[in-house]
Amino acid sequence: MLAAKLLWRNARSAEVKLLFTALLLAVAMVTAIGLLSDRLEATLLKQSNSFIGADRQIYSPQPISPLWSQQAQAFGLQQVRLENFSSMVFSSPAAEGYSVQSAQGSSSQTAEGSSSQTAEGSSVQSADGPAAFEERMQLAAIKAVEPGYPLVGQMEISTVPFATRSVDIEKTDAVPGLGEAWVDSRLLAQLDLNINNSVFVGEKRLKITRVIITEPDRGGGFSLFAPRLMMNRADLAATEVIQPGSRIAYHWLLAGTEPQLKAFLDKLQPELSDHHQLVDLERAQQGLASTLATARQFLLLAVVIAMLLAGIALVISSSRFAARHTEQVALLKSLGASSWKIRRLYLGQLLLLALASSVAGLLLAEILQRLIALAVVMMAAVELQPGSYRPYVLGIVSGVTCLIFFALPPLWHLPKISPLRILRQDLPVSSVRITVQVLLGTLAVLLLVYLFSGNIWLTLSVGAALLAVVSVAALVALGLLRLSHTLGSSAGSIWRLAIAGIKRRSGQSLLQVVVFAIALLLLLTMYAVRTSLIDEWQLQLPTDAPNHFLINIAPEQVDAVAEKLQRRGLNTAEIYPMVRGRLVKINAVEPSPALRKKVPLLRREANISWSKNLPADNQLSSGKWWHSEEEFESKGQQRGLPRVSVESKLAKKLGVGVGTKLQFSFGGLTLDAQISSLRQLEWDNMKPNFYFIFEPQVLDKFSPMYMTSSHIPPSEKAVVAEVLRDYPTIVVIEIDKVIEQIRDIVDKVGRAVEVVLALVLVGGILVLAAAVNASIDSRLQEVGLIRALGSSRKLILGSLAIEFSLLGACAGIIAVLGSEALLLGLQQQVFKMPVAPHYELWLAGPLLGTLLVGSLGVFSCRRVLNTPPSVVLREVG
Amino acid sequence: MGQIMLQVNAINKRVNTFNGELEILKDVSLSLNRGQSLAITGASGSGKSTLLGILAGLDTPSSGRVCLAGVDLSELDEEGRARVRAEQVGFVFQSFQLLPGLTALENVMLPLELHGVGSAKKRAENFLARVGLAERLSHYPKQLSGGEQQRVAIARAFASEPKILFADEPTGNLDSVTGAKIIELVFELNREQGTTLVLVTHEQRLADRCDCHLTLEAGAVLPSVEQQATEFLSC
Repeated sequence: MLAAKLLWRNARSAEVKLLFTALLLAVAMVTAIGLLSDRLEATLLKQSNSFIGADRQIYSPQPISPLWSQQAQAFGLQQVRLENFSSMVFSSPAAEGYSVQSAQGSSSQTAEGSSSQTAEGSSVQSADGPAAFEERMQLAAIKAVEPGYPLVGQMEISTVPFATRSVDIEKTDAVPGLGEAWVDSRLLAQLDLNINNSVFVGEKRLKITRVIITEPDRGGGFSLFAPRLMMNRADLAATEVIQPGSRIAYHWLLAGTEPQLKAFLDKLQPELSDHHQLVDLERAQQGLASTLATARQFLLLAVVIAMLLAGIALVISSSRFAARHTEQVALLKSLGASSWKIRRLYLGQLLLLALASSVAGLLLAEILQRLIALAVVMMAAVELQPGSYRPYVLGIVSGVTCLIFFALPPLWHLPKISPLRILRQDLPVSSVRITVQVLLGTLAVLLLVYLFSGNIWLTLSVGAALLAVVSVAALVALGLLRLSHTLGSSAGSIWRLAIAGIKRRSGQSLLQVVVFAIALLLLLTMYAVRTSLIDEWQLQLPTDAPNHFLINIAPEQVDAVAEKLQRRGLNTAEIYPMVRGRLVKINAVEPSPALRKKVPLLRREANISWSKNLPADNQLSSGKWWHSEEEFESKGQQRGLPRVSVESKLAKKLGVGVGTKLQFSFGGLTLDAQISSLRQLEWDNMKPNFYFIFEPQVLDKFSPMYMTSSHIPPSEKAVVAEVLRDYPTIVVIEIDKVIEQIRDIVDKVGRAVEVVLALVLVGGILVLAAAVNASIDSRLQEVGLIRALGSSRKLILGSLAIEFSLLGACAGIIAVLGSEALLLGLQQQVFKMPVAPHYELWLAGPLLGTLLVGSLGVFSCRRVLNTPPSVVLREVG
Repeated sequence: MGQIMLQVNAINKRVNTFNGELEILKDVSLSLNRGQSLAITGASGSGKSTLLGILAGLDTPSSGRVCLAGVDLSELDEEGRARVRAEQVGFVFQSFQLLPGLTALENVMLPLELHGVGSAKKRAENFLARVGLAERLSHYPKQLSGGEQQRVAIARAFASEPKILFADEPTGNLDSVTGAKIIELVFELNREQGTTLVLVTHEQRLADRCDCHLTLEAGAVLPSVEQQATEFLSC
């Protein structure tokens, strides 16, 4: 096959190598980033899913039908069941045969996730047992699990209460054995027990064999007021606590691949009743889910940018290939090859090249992603989940699309070259117009972006941004080049030589500036997005974020507790007063059953607070805040109803706004109030958040208790046990492990983003190198001639450095302008981040452009300076 | 009388320029028999290369007819002319026109492979040996001297055994000694293969070795030579 022979022979030439490299780069980068994104996403999702201990969870107040279990098995899903309920547990061995059952609420987690859950559990020391023994009892959150739990994630257990040292902590896939219980350390403190002591849950005596350090699906909110006791599900019947009417949440944990889960849940959906709650990461951890979604967008952006860079490299190398093959085609035609034969020959070569580079690209991608996965394992100590086959397919599709839209247009005119060109090289070559090439390239990008994202709006935005950037870049580059000409006329000889070079090749210079600008723009954008993302993620969870909540603090205990914490050098946040109340009427009307069904808060009590000032993380979305006590005092009496501020999403669900009258019930006493403002707040900021905040003094008569939060580092963890012993009525909620878990995931996402950025950077530099190389031929001849005429090495080197640096600087300035514009859109529309100028880019862009392009240019021409001019002229002439 | 290989009837070539229409060739007619050689001479810009291009079917005249090996080129499109070139024509150029990425052997093999000749490699090796480059088969053009490059080009031209060979200033880029050797080679192979030869040259010495001689001046055939050319019709 002649095409293969020709390709094999042409493969020795620089332009074929460049074309091969560009195609290989396109396939390898798209596939590697795709594969890596896929694997990282699967890993992060799997890790994040440990927050619900499964990939999906369904819970219900009624037992899960055994039929469903069989169906799930048929779909190849893993499954375990568990029961969650609250019950009193007793410490005294003499209490055998006596139990008090409390069945108030379950500990199941919901998307609301924080301050609205019930807080019935509190440590109560009792001497009212049936016998004369001293005993302790405590409301505990019981979880009855079966082997296999959790399906995703691992538990950490210990034999040392409040263990913080890693030597004391054991990761396990096991569950408590028959007759055993694993408990929170604070339960031991509250019941004054130790490991190997026994407790009673209902009628069943359980031996405490371990303390629970972390439990993957515990959640980060206030859901777990009572300490945890975990037992084997097989012991549940013996406890006899499950009676008709008991409030138990039956959980069904499922794990499997996304397609399996989707297929099964789609089938199950019609059978689910209102009582069944389906929980996935999105519902359980909104913050984490949105971090993952943003990371996914970033990786998508990285793939698009990698593709664009590879596309640019392809256009450049393909144009160079076409330029170098013009004479070859003219020769072949003079030898009698028809246009059709030439087209077939070149298409054949291109297809073979595509095949070879695709195979090599896929191999390289595989090696690259394996190496990166290995690095991730070493850096973040996490095993990456296997990816799907999709990136390979996308890699090949990208390669073929890039080939058709980027590489083919510059070659399309080759068969039309007149054979007469063999005699008259001054004959013009009518190549495909640059505008057509840009349009085709844009079309390819849009096609690929749509293939990757499946999002038409993102696709159109990228297209619009790209066209705008190219046109603006061309205009600005033209202006900057003209300016440099004006300045050049008054410059010294090195500068004049450099600027004359730019001027002589003004068309090529313009094109180069645009290409440099786009490559730099893409790199700057990626860098800025990555920095903003990581900053924002870190801001969400600062290292001193409160990780313990102390609630149920009696007014007289407030000072003592604060002092105890301060003595240990621990900062306590504000002390929030809190009463538990229920919203009973809206505008004097009881909520309809439909509304009660829609808004779970209407079916339970909420934690309600009051504050003089608007909490720091809250933002008013409508209405006014009561600014000062003076204002309140001066106007208080004339105002009528007490004022309350409501969380804006809840207000939307309830259909209420500023001015709406609400009636609350506090332990049977009612209070009418009027909404004076709506607030937006972040539920996942690990700080106390309230749906309702009243103005000061209004709730004083409802016997408030207080709460506070504090950052307690592991070294000071003993203070928790101390507080619990000294003030048994206080409830401590530990979320340090949860925060650590979230921070760990966010950290891994950040690393993944950095790895991908590094890959794209390499791609960007290769594109710049390709663009510099494309202009080398004409420069080599010129430099050879100047050298032959006796110019010094210093003059040539200096003028080359200046010429390339000037082009790089122009490109850098355009890149910064374009990058800021693109970032504006990306941050606003795609990443939903606050928009701010990136001042660091204003320096980095031109500097990077100057240094990178300048040094690449000089590096590429270095051979000319070290080779005799006669050799250079003969080779290029 | 030999069989007519090339017959040209009153061809004109006009091109449009910024200053209006420019006539490059004016009423050129000639006829050449199989195996004969024709030298086209003239000053720079007299239209020699344009005429060569039209004669070889690389270009088309604005008016007039060119018959090559009995085929009227003016009735053919580019594809048809390419077919005629593939079957009948060989070229030697002033600037050699070797592909820089291909070795000497591969350069000679190229037209043979293009036309699907089975024993391309063997034939190319034979012709390279014939031009004295048996030891230089795997050399790239830039590793060869000008004379050697032109010998590769000659081997390439003759390897496909053309009926007619067009040579555009074959010695133009060579010194006189090397040029003489190259000319000797061309005429020798021409004789051996009975090829018809059309060459454009500045060199009188070279033109004198040809059977016929045509001089162009400002696109027109000089009268004295025109007469001579007319005689060819009766050769």
